[in-house]
Amino acid sequence: MRRRLPLTVIGGYLGAGKTTLINRLLAADHGLRIVVLVNDFGAINIDAALLQSADEDTLTLTNGCVCCTMGADLFQAVGKVLDRVPLPDHLVIEASGIADPARIARVAQSEPDLSYAGIVTVVDALEFDRLQGDALIAPQIEGQVRCADMVLVSKIKSLSPALSGALQELSGRTPLLVEDELALRLLLDRHPHRPDFGETETHPAYTRWHGVTDKVLQRETLQGLIAARPEAVFRLKGFVPAPDGLWEVQVVGQQVTLRRIAADIPPGVVAIGRQDTLTKEACERWWQEGLKGLTHED
Amino acid sequence: MTEITVFEARKILTMDPNRPEATHVAVRDGHILAVGGPDCAAQWGEVTHDRSLADKVLTPGFVEGHAHIMASAMWSYAYCGFHDRTDPDGKLWKGRETIEDVVEGLKEYAATLPEGAPIIGWGFDPIFLTSERLNRSHLDEISRDRPIAIIFSNFHLLCANSKAMELAQYDRDTNVEGVLRDAAGEPTGELQEMAAMFPVMRRLGIDFSDLGRKDEVIRRFGEVARREGVTTMTDLFATLEEEDVDRMVRVTSEPGYPLRVVPVMGAVGDSAENIAARAKALRTRSTEKLRLGAVKLMTDGSIQGWTARVKWPGYVGGHPNGIWNLAPEQIFELCEVMHREGVHMHIHVNGDEASEVVIDAIEAAARKSSWPGHRHVLQHCQMMGPDQFRRCRELGLSVNIFANHIWYFGDQHAALTIGEDRARRMDACRSALDAGLNVAVHSDAPVTPLGPLFIAWCAVNRLTGSGRVLGASQRISVKEALYAITLGAAQTLKMDHEIGSIECGKRADFAVLGEDPLALAPEALKDVPVHGTVLGGEVHLL
Repeated sequence: MRRRLPLTVIGGYLGAGKTTLINRLLAADHGLRIVVLVNDFGAINIDAALLQSADEDTLTLTNGCVCCTMGADLFQAVGKVLDRVPLPDHLVIEASGIADPARIARVAQSEPDLSYAGIVTVVDALEFDRLQGDALIAPQIEGQVRCADMVLVSKIKSLSPALSGALQELSGRTPLLVEDELALRLLLDRHPHRPDFGETETHPAYTRWHGVTDKVLQRETLQGLIAARPEAVFRLKGFVPAPDGLWEVQVVGQQVTLRRIAADIPPGVVAIGRQDTLTKEACERWWQEGLKGLTHED
Repeated sequence: MTEITVFEARKILTMDPNRPEATHVAVRDGHILAVGGPDCAAQWGEVTHDRSLADKVLTPGFVEGHAHIMASAMWSYAYCGFHDRTDPDGKLWKGRETIEDVVEGLKEYAATLPEGAPIIGWGFDPIFLTSERLNRSHLDEISRDRPIAIIFSNFHLLCANSKAMELAQYDRDTNVEGVLRDAAGEPTGELQEMAAMFPVMRRLGIDFSDLGRKDEVIRRFGEVARREGVTTMTDLFATLEEEDVDRMVRVTSEPGYPLRVVPVMGAVGDSAENIAARAKALRTRSTEKLRLGAVKLMTDGSIQGWTARVKWPGYVGGHPNGIWNLAPEQIFELCEVMHREGVHMHIHVNGDEASEVVIDAIEAAARKSSWPGHRHVLQHCQMMGPDQFRRCRELGLSVNIFANHIWYFGDQHAALTIGEDRARRMDACRSALDAGLNVAVHSDAPVTPLGPLFIAWCAVNRLTGSGRVLGASQRISVKEALYAITLGAAQTLKMDHEIGSIECGKRADFAVLGEDPLALAPEALKDVPVHGTVLGGEVHLL
């Protein structure tokens, strides 16, 4: 079976700091071949030493990353990335300042060759209040935060309770600072459960919890179980017995994807989160209580 | 000394107040030398008389100021729409009034394709069908082992058959917004919005933006124009990379190409400064039949999709307000930079909140830098009233009004989108003319079919699909409507010194008609037969 290409969408209003984040993603030492689709090259700033070649609409980096302008047709650009040989490790799309990132990210759920790797919305701490008060655009700005799996705040050293609360209320998750190194790694799925990328199994900054069950779950039951997960779980993935084969479970932030597959894989799930917000005990409690009372055929 | 040809016609409607009607027009070097009777060019030397149009009526060639190259590209697929349409080769595709009709038509079409090739249809619009929604079991009757996709007329939806759904790996476990499911939880085949449509389109090789990049599609664009009497037409949100421009220059320069094409570059994907620089650089690539250098801004969505930005009291039925494709802040910046740099703008505004923001933005731009002859154009203008039109006049703006909406969506607007009061005053050609504005009307083809006489008929009669007159006070006269599809539209393209009327010095671009539109009842305007065009003195009869 073809490997699925993880897709992350970066949303946020004009000047929020999306490009700064993309510059970091491109230059960081993550060992991944990332393709980034941007609206324009205007603010892309690649260290000359890292630049292998550049033409009208593509920058190629020595670390294997590529940055392309998407042109007028985003979906055509995604199709072209999927046709690349070899397939990149990760696709990142910069949504335009007013766009709804969810409309773009949805393609990661519909397209079998893609997998959903999250919506990150970047928020300018100094502007959010003003934008939320502007009736012309507030609904679209709030929508960008509401659909985010991770909210990153820029242009501030520490989060004020007021802003933090406002963002939490919209997205249901704790906002982080854009400089947060851990956030970036979670985003790219570069954390302790990826030993295939040379990560060590233990990293004090993350909580990694593993759960198993041999109970066969109906879709609705499994959905209910996952919906009750601790909020601080950023990623949850694995396999759970289905009436006919297995459920492949993929959770990123608030996005849950269940696919029914026929494979002989031992069931089990892994949850990942930041150590300062997620504990193994919370995961264990959720899992045990959720499964308690379910028969083997729920 | 070049040759002078004097064309004789039953009647010539010139749009020139100095000589409104004539029977002869003399042409030299592709331009109009004289207008009048048989001897009109006597003082210019020897002439050749051409009587091939002697039983026809000539008007200035029609100018379509808002269309898209997709109008010809979609003929790569089978038409499945409700209304009759004629393809570029002159074949009539009968309107499909029921799902059974659609299925029957596609069965015949499928037989003409190579074995196993995907079957792709377009133009289907469920708004006209009262039966159940089109679903995959209907399409499975056409074929179970060939993939089928029917693209809806708004391009935001499609319906796939079981084979196409299987290729996209859509099944009962699929839980994606936009993949519709029936009561039993099975996908119906209907897919909404690009994210859900993409897996099917990718596997069936449907690529909208690539369609417009083929030589034959550009040639067909000329053909569809000729059939409707159009001699100048826009592609109003073009992608214009170097290779696209090279292709357009090459194909439109082929001998006998029957159209002047005005590709207007979409203002996306770069900074305002770079877009302006690109637009200015493109001007130098213009030719006699290809005009470059203007840009198009997309501001809001569509009213029938409930995505236009509308003012109070919003949409009926509790739909939330629409969406911006550009933030108001970006609209201000683009307007400021384009205006300062002298780049002509066409600006999409459907809802009245969008038009208000754009008028504010132009006013702000005009305060910062002076450009007395800018003549920027607001496009669609569907909810603008006299207040906004007066501001347009003060600012030197033109309007290109989407008059076809009255017929195609007028009933829906009254019942479902903006309600009776505002539907009656929408697409207000009368108010715009009364405010002293230059007015054009357009089809937005392929959103509605290309056909300036039909658009003019809509503006004159304001009949809806159900046959009622929607907003009688906004009707305009046949004469005013003919002006709007010729000289009015030419002004929106800043080409009125070259085209739009039949008078000495202009290019010899004519529409060749079978009847005099001014002599018929206004209700008959849409039925005036079109026999072809004359472009630069070259006759292109059907």
